[in-house]
Amino acid sequence: MDNIRYGNPYVVGTLLGLVLLFTFYSMGRGVGSSASFSRLGAASVAAVAPDHAKSNAYMAGYMGRGRPMLMDWLIFMSLGAALGGLFSAFVGKRIKGEVGRGPSIDVGPRLWLALGGGIVSGFAARLARGCTSGQALTGAPELAFGSWVFMFSIFAGAYAAAWFFRKEWL
Amino acid sequence: MGPLYKFGWFDFTYSLQLAVLIGFCFGLLLERAGFGNPRKLTAIFYLRDFAVLKVMFTAIVVCMLGMLYFSIFGWLDMGKVYLLPTYLWPQLVGGLALGVGFIMGGYCPTTSVVASVSGKLDGVVFLAGMVIGSLIFAELFPLLEGFYKAGDMGPVRLSDVFGIQSGIIALLVCVMAVLAFWVVEKVENRFGDPESLPAGGTRLKTFAAIALVVLGLILAIVNPDNSQVQKNIHQEDPDRPAAVAPVGKAAQPSEGFKIVDDEGC
Repeated sequence: MDNIRYGNPYVVGTLLGLVLLFTFYSMGRGVGSSASFSRLGAASVAAVAPDHAKSNAYMAGYMGRGRPMLMDWLIFMSLGAALGGLFSAFVGKRIKGEVGRGPSIDVGPRLWLALGGGIVSGFAARLARGCTSGQALTGAPELAFGSWVFMFSIFAGAYAAAWFFRKEWL
Repeated sequence: MGPLYKFGWFDFTYSLQLAVLIGFCFGLLLERAGFGNPRKLTAIFYLRDFAVLKVMFTAIVVCMLGMLYFSIFGWLDMGKVYLLPTYLWPQLVGGLALGVGFIMGGYCPTTSVVASVSGKLDGVVFLAGMVIGSLIFAELFPLLEGFYKAGDMGPVRLSDVFGIQSGIIALLVCVMAVLAFWVVEKVENRFGDPESLPAGGTRLKTFAAIALVVLGLILAIVNPDNSQVQKNIHQEDPDRPAAVAPVGKAAQPSEGFKIVDDEGC
């Protein structure tokens, strides 16, 4: 791991806190990203099978706000996050086509685990009404009770499962 | 007075442009912290590198202090900031599952975006998985709806649940953060690779820790909940009846202020 060019976590954390504060001050809401992917999925379903999407209570919740389903604050925020990540990776000379994995796992199994992890995370984020950004980073500074429960649950779940996935990372 | 959007400083279209700017800073900082790298992210769960915890807790504490001080100074109306509602059981179970997804996939949702744009194929696969996972949830929603709404406590803060003033909660959060940073650095030094851990002056860290606790202490004394109450009393001050009437009228609609389409994450 090349940590040298990574920022100091306390400095980055302070700046991130200021960005969050600015978000609350300007928008009166926090950040988030997992809902963008839920909307993306719902919009794909709506494009292929509009009747099916309309009949699903959850996907229907994304519709009927008088604007297209993808015309959403979080989608634009995620677009910005992609641009910002690209910019920072470019400046840090970290843009490189590769598969992030530990030394003792092959590319194939790693990609299957990434897919599985993505599916579990996507499902879990909808169940909990948010992810690390939308619940933990947004709700915790507001001192929202459920967000603190959620945040500690993430750590508990990951530490409990870490032993089973040690070959993937160590 | 903020939040600017809720006071009509700009419209929805402009808010989308602002979203891109906020997202840009967010993504930039996550990438800068090294969170486009799944080994760096998951190292926390093998006690080797606690950057995830440091960044998250620092951001939370800074933002929390900022909001509470802003509300004391009268710069931010916390009543108009969307407070995430608590649904205890789905949040507990969803959190546990998200943790498993994190260690299995190597990312959380936003970090996978950052990883994807820096060329990580596994990040792209994780993103695709998230779309699939969300769709599975939507398709199963009729079955899950009961659990999804279980443990509905409404938008409650820690202070409401524990019956403690939020100033004291803020102090406890500051103390907890300082203790957590101190403990994880000890753990890191023991299990981590000293070459790869960030350097930092002990004196600066001690100063920052003291500053945090002091800021928390001030909040515990100048209770932000109190300042809200005092403001209300102040408005009813009979000495200035002229100023009271318009303020009272303006405050009236804010009571029923509701945002329908705000959803966490």
